[in-house]
Amino acid sequence: MACDTTRPVPSKVLIANRGEIAVRVIRACRELGLGAVAVYSDCDRNALHVRLADEAYHVGPSPASESYLRIDAIVDAARRAGATLVHPGYGFLAENAAFARACEDAGLTFVGPRPAAVALMGSKTAAREAATSVGVPVVPGTVSPLPADASDAAILAEADRVGFPLLVKAVAGGGGKGMRTVMARADLAAAIRAARSEAQSSFGDAGIYFERRLVAPRHVEIQLLADEHGTVLPFVERECSIQRRHQKVVEESPSPALTADVRHRMAEAAARVARAARYTNAGTIEFLLDRDGRFYFLEMNTRLQVEHPVTELVTGVDLVQWQLRIAQGARLDVPPEQALSPHGHAIECRIYAEDPDQGFLPSPGLVRALAVPGGPGVRDDRGVAPGFEVPVFYDSMIAKLAVWGSTRAECVGRLTRALDEYRVVGVKTTMPFFQWLVRQPAFADAAFDTTYLDRVLADRNGQPFVQPTAADEEGAALAAALASWFRAHRAAAAGAAEPAGDAWRRAARREALRSP
Amino acid sequence: MTFEVDLGGRTRTVSVESVGAVGPGGGRFRVRVDGQPRTVDARATDLGLLLTDESGRSIDVAVTDRGAGEWLLQLPRVALTAVVDGRRFRRAAGGPAPAAGEQRVTAPMPGRVVRVLVKVGDDVAARQGLVVVEAMKMENELKASKAGRVKEVAVAEGTSVESGRLLVIVE
Repeated sequence: MACDTTRPVPSKVLIANRGEIAVRVIRACRELGLGAVAVYSDCDRNALHVRLADEAYHVGPSPASESYLRIDAIVDAARRAGATLVHPGYGFLAENAAFARACEDAGLTFVGPRPAAVALMGSKTAAREAATSVGVPVVPGTVSPLPADASDAAILAEADRVGFPLLVKAVAGGGGKGMRTVMARADLAAAIRAARSEAQSSFGDAGIYFERRLVAPRHVEIQLLADEHGTVLPFVERECSIQRRHQKVVEESPSPALTADVRHRMAEAAARVARAARYTNAGTIEFLLDRDGRFYFLEMNTRLQVEHPVTELVTGVDLVQWQLRIAQGARLDVPPEQALSPHGHAIECRIYAEDPDQGFLPSPGLVRALAVPGGPGVRDDRGVAPGFEVPVFYDSMIAKLAVWGSTRAECVGRLTRALDEYRVVGVKTTMPFFQWLVRQPAFADAAFDTTYLDRVLADRNGQPFVQPTAADEEGAALAAALASWFRAHRAAAAGAAEPAGDAWRRAARREALRSP
Repeated sequence: MTFEVDLGGRTRTVSVESVGAVGPGGGRFRVRVDGQPRTVDARATDLGLLLTDESGRSIDVAVTDRGAGEWLLQLPRVALTAVVDGRRFRRAAGGPAPAAGEQRVTAPMPGRVVRVLVKVGDDVAARQGLVVVEAMKMENELKASKAGRVKEVAVAEGTSVESGRLLVIVE
């Protein structure tokens, strides 16, 4: 290879993640002329992110605790690759202050906030205090974590003060883990026990606190970028009220429920919290919005969000490119009005390898082929390719389908069309669920809150999401018979030209049968 | 060739006969579905088969062979599972044919049994939870597809199970 000595060697970014988000970061690295280094576990050796990267390092066996969560192995891979930046993606080590610190100690630039900001916002109760200190309202609840040895009487008194119904939440929580809804006093003790044990096993921290459950709130959040020179840039909001068991499944921007006035006040409040935390890089401040347009700070996510594409689609700002630029000391020069004024509407669906007709049971397996939608306004962020076995070890999200339209109605029509085009062949996915959801009048009217999906799913009581028509069944039966016909003919053709070994074995078997 | 196709709770008898030369890329077929004759053009695609009938209506089917006669058929809007010549495969497997109306609940993926919710002799309602299996960071409750009585519980809490492992039989 010829070496161009006039050009400096590009910096390399190690991506401490897998799946679609690793692919997303690799794309941003390429666009900025940065090198992309992947890491992988045993089962991800041929994963798409490994195939797309310039180089890839093995970090351990398939279970996440032995590979993608191994701080030492990942820092070591960065050192071996000569990477100078580390992008954590989301999940795994993305909100782990010890990882951010380990990168710093190893002389690597962590693409995210400083460890102190990660630690501050990682404690849900400390984050609530930070919001309160700058005059941003929080959902009413306990100020500090409930001590492990608190008496039953003290716990009950605290619960009565917060008021029922309430949520028991993990101090170190996230993703709905360690969270319980309690409707009445009688159910409190059992919910606390369950939340503590789940929080201990998920986060290694049994700390819990109470939060009042608002009536039918919407989940609305503000994306932020902040550089190291003091600029904090809030973006137009995202609405993520369509959740199943506290996990977002559909996100959109802008929120159909927000007035421009509330948007500006919410963005301003989010920027205040970020400044109070001396926050840098990309982050998101989550709020609950009540029916009267009042909003309450919920928590801050100190990383890139799964749903960042909808913000990119309506603002034209590439958030991942900016994460990398900010980490290298660049000044944020996006005009504030561009970030806050949405152009059109965007909706994203998180597509999981789960069978929605079997209670969303994971459906891992081999992706045999893919039909991916294209055409106007369609963006597909995918972490799998044909020939890849969706592993059982990680979250089962395989792709995000995000669609843009000039209006929300146009966007919903386009999303419906794109979902119908999308086929992940070989594994069951949540596509039928989305095909059903986007055809619901409540979805078209955006008449939903965070309780909507769990409520309608309970009412459906397991009914299939898409009912096959008689023509569908007839076509499928025909296809199965014809495929069986082709297989029988291929087998016959292969038999005529079978390998010598097989022919020899069959001849031997015939001999054995003839001998008596 | 004639196939028995089980799909959507119904068995169809489908006979298939090629019309003229048929290559690996496909061709034309005379088929009979439960005696009803039709002509179908079947072409191989990257996903499976594109079927077109006499009137020009076509259907693009993604076809996955799951072995033992089971096929996954993913149509543009709906996925269906068919079993072709199921009786032959059950005989070939050598096991006893499952008793009529018996539900054999098996692990749909590798994981760990975290809770067994029923015991032998329990009456269960349709959609009642039987066993909770943890896999892919999620707890998944496996439910009875219809009402019955628990005949056998084949696993204990804490057991690691492979995909396809028998968990519970409901009769």
